[in-house]
Amino acid sequence: MSIALALSPLLAVGLGALLLMLVEAIGTKAGPVPGTFRDVRGLAVGAASTLFAGGAFAGCVWMYGVERIPGAASLAPWLILDPFTLFFDVLLCLGGAIAALLAGGYMPEHGLERGEFYALILFTTFGAMVLAAAGDALTLFLGLETMSIGAYAMTAFRRASARSAEGALKYFLLGSFAAAILLYGFALLYGATGHTDLAGIGSAARQAAGRSPLFILGAAFVLVGIVFKVSAVPFHAWTPDAYEGAPTPATAYMAVAVKAGAFAMLLRVLTLSLGSPAWTSWASGWPPVMATLALLTMTYANLVAGRQESVKRMLAYSSIAHAGYVLVGVTAMMRDPKQAVAGVLYYLVAYGVSTGGAFGALILCGSRGREAVSYEDIAGLGKRNPAVALAFSLFLVSLAGIPPMAGFFGKWLVFRAAIDAGLYKLTALAFLNSVVGAYYYLRVLVYMYMREPAAGAVTAAPMRSGFVVTALVVSAVLVLALGLTPTSYIDAAMSAAGVGASG
Amino acid sequence: MIPLEYYVALSALLFVIGGVGFLVRRNALVALMSIEVMLNAANLALVAFNRWRFEHVDARAYAGQDHTGQVFAFFVIAAEAAEVAVGLAIVLSLYRLRRTVRTDEADLLKN
Repeated sequence: MSIALALSPLLAVGLGALLLMLVEAIGTKAGPVPGTFRDVRGLAVGAASTLFAGGAFAGCVWMYGVERIPGAASLAPWLILDPFTLFFDVLLCLGGAIAALLAGGYMPEHGLERGEFYALILFTTFGAMVLAAAGDALTLFLGLETMSIGAYAMTAFRRASARSAEGALKYFLLGSFAAAILLYGFALLYGATGHTDLAGIGSAARQAAGRSPLFILGAAFVLVGIVFKVSAVPFHAWTPDAYEGAPTPATAYMAVAVKAGAFAMLLRVLTLSLGSPAWTSWASGWPPVMATLALLTMTYANLVAGRQESVKRMLAYSSIAHAGYVLVGVTAMMRDPKQAVAGVLYYLVAYGVSTGGAFGALILCGSRGREAVSYEDIAGLGKRNPAVALAFSLFLVSLAGIPPMAGFFGKWLVFRAAIDAGLYKLTALAFLNSVVGAYYYLRVLVYMYMREPAAGAVTAAPMRSGFVVTALVVSAVLVLALGLTPTSYIDAAMSAAGVGASG
Repeated sequence: MIPLEYYVALSALLFVIGGVGFLVRRNALVALMSIEVMLNAANLALVAFNRWRFEHVDARAYAGQDHTGQVFAFFVIAAEAAEVAVGLAIVLSLYRLRRTVRTDEADLLKN
């Protein structure tokens, strides 16, 4: 029984997903057009409330103290139930709920009223939560596949759109390729150490087995597979296409929850399996690799993002750039894992609510038949619809890392961890990058407030939707709360990081 | 008994064939098959390592009870099947819209 309590976030989301699928199959009536339903708004409410409930369960277990629940440790190493997991549960549920609310407005507006999208969000979130809790290669792989398969399907959701199918195909092929590499890496690690649990691999890494060619090759494959999923350059090729092709709520979901799940996996593997002194040293371990990836990711994404003609694609590149900043924090784990992990956790929340909100604001800018994608679509929005423009600005300012928004403290924590780890050059370059990055966020503001649409041009008319507004309010409140009163959130990230690092 | 090295070499060969096939061929279905070959290479490695540990390393410690690698392979097969189902659906939906399954002809999204 007490195990059920410890697992309540997972159970809530998993059972909710099954229930929602049942309701969708039995309860919704066929619409006038074959394959559509009259009204699936109820499902959006169901999905969002299930996810909020999952997050609330995780919060309650956190408050109660998961280490006080007898039997919670008995699921280790399959599922590690610790504050780190619960922190990610809250973040993933929040991201999923925002995406579900956005879908509740977006899907009916653009004629995509098919209920399975909400079940997909729930199953994908379930997979991501398993991934965040996974302490064994087996559960890690299953969680990763559950998450990824759902995300592929969500990307391909606009069945009439060739762009959607193309984005999904690229995402699917490269994602499964990455999963195969990751799996082969774990098979080699199993051969080298005889363990599939991450902590067992980690303890074997401290001995002679940790430097055997088999182990090194396996670890390299695992890391390649993971950085594919976090979309670090040069493994990012699928990201812009998948993000652009997917319906915008799915894009928001991938940018927030799928990315957070992938980083949870990266943190677990690096702390549990590759946390030995040899592997965390600059000379013989992963830090130089992570630093190079961070640098490439930030620089490339920031340079390309500025050249985009589509706001959605610009936000996709921005999400790659943010993965680069997070990787700076990951590199900093070489010296003081706890502080660095706390920085990364806070960053992921701050980035998540900001980018989720930004995609939400983009949804709100367009309406049926005319989605807002290009800069022209949002020109003069400050006059036409000040409320939407203000919300969009808030999220972009946060993404740019301007105080007092959430994004600023995220960057500050990550950069401070990097300085404490002695990574001065990397921090300086990351700082320069965030200055360059501000350019393309501010460009959107310039278009919204200082440009007028060309005379006679067809511009996107903002839509009206209570769902999208709710999602935006939730994100905006969090962006401001994380920015104005960061202390309690930083404390939460610190206590989640402590256990995540020690295992 | 066939030595472990044979299995590992075969598994590495399969993995390389799959990887090269994925990178070189432009047909989405062939790419899908290449991924399957890579996953099966991992399965073979898992089972071979498990069997080898069973014989040589853990025989006394686990009294032959350690089947982790073999069980892992079953889970991989199940996950693989789910992945292919979604993958084929995506290929099919692209084919319906573009009349092609070639990845180099899917070029609407650029930059």
